[in-house]
Parts: sequence; C-alpha cells; structure tokens
Amino acid sequence: MNGPTVAARPTRPRPGARTWVIVGVLITYTVFAGRQVGFDISTFWNVWSNPLWEKFWPVPWDWVLDWHNVLDPLLETFQIAVVATLVGCGLALPLAFIMSPLTSPNRLTMIVSRSVMNVVRAVPDLFWAKLLVTAVGIGAFAGSWALSVFSLAVMVKLFSETVDGADPRPLEAARATGGRHLPVIRTGVLPTVLPEYVAYGLYVFELNIRASVVLGLVGAGGIGRVIEAQRQYFRFDRVLGILLLVFVVVIVIEQVSVAVRKRLV
Amino acid sequence: MATGPTTGTDGRPAAPTGTARRRLAMGALLVLAVGWSITGLEVTVDRLLGAPGDAWDIFRRMFPPAFAEAAERGVVGKVFESVHIAWIGTLIGALASLPLAFLAAGNVAPAWVRVPVRQLFNVIRAVPELILAMILIPITGLGPWAGALAIGVHSIGTLGKWATEAIEGIDEGPLEAVAATGGRWASSMRWGVLPQILPVVTSQWLFRFEINVRASAVLGMIGAGGVGSELVSQLVFRNFPAVGAVLLMTIVVVLAIDTVSAAVRRRIIRGAGRAPGDVVGGDRNAAVLVDLTGIGR
Repeated sequence: MNGPTVAARPTRPRPGARTWVIVGVLITYTVFAGRQVGFDISTFWNVWSNPLWEKFWPVPWDWVLDWHNVLDPLLETFQIAVVATLVGCGLALPLAFIMSPLTSPNRLTMIVSRSVMNVVRAVPDLFWAKLLVTAVGIGAFAGSWALSVFSLAVMVKLFSETVDGADPRPLEAARATGGRHLPVIRTGVLPTVLPEYVAYGLYVFELNIRASVVLGLVGAGGIGRVIEAQRQYFRFDRVLGILLLVFVVVIVIEQVSVAVRKRLV
Repeated sequence: MATGPTTGTDGRPAAPTGTARRRLAMGALLVLAVGWSITGLEVTVDRLLGAPGDAWDIFRRMFPPAFAEAAERGVVGKVFESVHIAWIGTLIGALASLPLAFLAAGNVAPAWVRVPVRQLFNVIRAVPELILAMILIPITGLGPWAGALAIGVHSIGTLGKWATEAIEGIDEGPLEAVAATGGRWASSMRWGVLPQILPVVTSQWLFRFEINVRASAVLGMIGAGGVGSELVSQLVFRNFPAVGAVLLMTIVVVLAIDTVSAAVRRRIIRGAGRAPGDVVGGDRNAAVLVDLTGIGR
C-alpha cells in the first residue's frame, strides 16, 4: 500500500485457438463456395452496361392498367391469397393445439405432427407449387393449393408458439371443473390466443400476396403468369409496370393489416 | 368513476353488448370474401374432390425414391451448389447492408440520409429474388452466379432493415462516452455502436442464410444454379422416383442447416447475455415470422 497507483491498462483479450480455427474454416469455405458459384467481381460494374436496362423504360401505363392484361390476373392473385390464407389458417388452428405440449391430447400425436410440419416447412414454397401444378394441372387452382400448404406451415409454427406461451392457469381452472379435452381448450386457451391468431392470419395474408406474385412463374396462376409471359418476350417495361403496381398494392394491404394488427394485439 | 361491471340476475357479469352483431358482420364478410375468391379460381366440385387424390397419387409414385439414379445425375452436387449460392449471396447481402444500416438508423444518421436509404431497403424487399435473377441472367449468363447475386441483392433489403432496428435499439451510453473523448462520427460507430450490435447482426445473417438456402433451391427452377433445375427437369419427364430423391435430399440438407444454424445463433445470442429467443432487434415475433416464410420480409 504505497500511495495511489495508476491502474495498469487491462490486457486486451486475445482470440483463442478455437476462434482462429473457426475463422480459417469459414474463410476457406467462402473461397471454395465463391469458386463453385463462379464469383466474378466484374459483374458489379458490367451490370450498369446491361443492354436490358433501356428495355425497362418508359413504362407503358395504358397497357399495364388494362383489365384484361394485368388487373384481372392481379385480382386472381388476390383471390388465391384470400382462399389460401383461410384454408391454411383454418387447418392450422386445430393442428397448432395438437402440436403444443400445453394442449396436445398425447405425446405421440404431438411429436408426429411436429415432425411432419418440420418436413413440410423444409420444402421451399415454389417446390410445392411446381409439384401441385404437376398434380392438379396448370392454373390458379394449383396455386391456391400450394399457397394453402405454405400458409399452413407458417401459421402452424407461429401460432403453436403462441399456444406454447399461453397462460396455463385458465386451462387448469377449466380442467379442474372436470371438462373434457376439447371444451377445456375451447374455454381455457382459445380466448387468450385468439387475438394473436387473427393477427398472424393477417400477416400470413400479406406474405401470401407477396408469394403469389412469383407463383405464376411455375404455372400456378395469378399475376406471375403475366410477368413470365412478358419476360419471355423481353418486354421488361411491362414487367416493371406490373412490379410497380404490385408494390403499391402490397404496401396498401400491409398498411391496412398493420393497423388492424395494432388494434388486435 | 368506475361503476364496476353490470351484473345480471345470476350475479354473472353481463356479456359485452354489440359483440354478437360484430361477429356476425365479420363472419358474413369472410364468407363473402371467400365466395368471391373461389369464383376466380376455376374451381369445380369435380376438381375439388379430385385434387387430394391427384396429389396423393404423385406423392405415392415418388416412393421408393431413386437415389442411385439421382446421385448419378449429380443431384448431391446440385444440392450443395444451392448451399454455396446461399452462402455467397448472404455474404454479399451482409457486407452491403451493414454500412447502409448505419445510414438508415434514426439515432445515428440525419433525416436526409436516413429516408432515402430506408426507401431503398423497402424497394429492394419488394422485388422477389426470382425477378432479380431474371434481370441478372442476361449479364451473368445462366448459372449459379446469377442466383448468388440475386440473393445477395434481395438480402440487402431485409438484412438492412433488421440491422437498422438493431442499431436503433442500442444503449446510447457508449455513444456519449465516445463523444466525450472527442471522437468523430466514424469512431463512435466503430466503438460505440458496432460492439453492441455485432452479436445480434451476426445471428440475423445466419437467419437470412437459412432462408436463402430455400430461396436458392427455388432459383434453380429458372436456371440460376442449384437443385431447382433438377426438380423441374425430373418433373417434366414425370420421373417421380427421381423427384422423390431430389426432394428428400433437399429436405435433409435444409433441415440440417436449419438445426446447425439455429444452434449457433442461440450460442451467439446467449454469449451476448440476451434472452435466447431475442434475435431480430429484440422483436422475437418478427424473428419467428421471418424464420418460417422462406420469402422473408
């Protein structure tokens, strides 16, 4: 204890050997993946001299804002999204209750339904669309099927987490009255999670509108069908017009849905 | 002021008024919306009843999957090509979005920079990867590079948005400390902001990588590299056992990557001393939402 000393600066922590190994592996993989992918930095400046750019302008608005050309398929997209959201979310309601440990009738059904939904979710959305187009034929019908599967997968995951986190006390109270499984869930859990269910449903609807834009690229109907056709003729001005229109529609729907969701939750 | 709930004859609180009518209106609206929508979808009773059978038929014909045939056609390589595309795409998106996020965050950037950068994120998010790939293919040619670039550009939108939210959620103390030592804007970003957001942002990148693996598989369907092209060509030939093999391989790889990445994310976030579920700038629901979609927001 000889007077106040200036505290020595703490030494800087050095990264350990494990960190270096991880960094090394990541860099090696990145270089390898870059080679495999054909990484080519020149693209970043060649992009600007893309001969396609001049094909994007001017946007032919009288063509885009035509019922037959664009607005009808856009409406179809909307219809696909409505049906898919309702079918998907409707099926998701009972499934989510089965999947959650809080409300599942028994452990086996819970594990089986969870694994099945994980696998369903692992298949990319357009793979579903392509498979269903092959199964039931080209058109909006296949598209609404594919999006239903997709909404179901998203909704089940979201909503079952809500059910997992639901307050167990009302459930216990309902069980204590000697209620059977379904009435117990109906009165003990459903009212507490219903607002979130509707909020997620609206969110899934937004996602579906976005997703159904690309569904048409694999023949599943909607506005994507028009985009694909115009792209094949290199009419990128029309594609741009459609994209702008869709952008506006998506934003409007999003605003409405966000406002409703705020009120709900 | 409070009068308490009005009680009925049996002592139970009276049901709130107007609920039944509102419920009826909502129900009617839903039924109308569905009815109208179905008219547009070329649905006939015949098709509706036949569809599950048709789907099941295809599903059944995929078994047993023709793994040997698929392996011979190099499907394994294609699946991994999808992973490579997703990795490079995520890196491009990550490296481009991080600096932009600093320019978009409300607490560290002035409004005249912030507003255009945010709009840029919104516009990018609105264009699907598939459309981007279509535009890029004439420059890069058909192949994985078009896919990687498309994913990279699209990722800038979401990653930028999430990172912006992370920056806006920081503790302002360190910023003040840097300012007190006379640091400039760049140093306050480097020493005041970056250390705080790095764990969250890294886990966001991993998250996006998971989404991008699915996206890159899809991109193959229009010729931008990866496993999608195999699925399409096998479906065209109606070679369902091979389709089954392609699907199963994709599912296995996607699930494996999801699991590993989720574990790493959990480790990163726990290391930062945050709640396990807290991934995207503190909004757990947003994180979960994005997790599942495959399209991303």
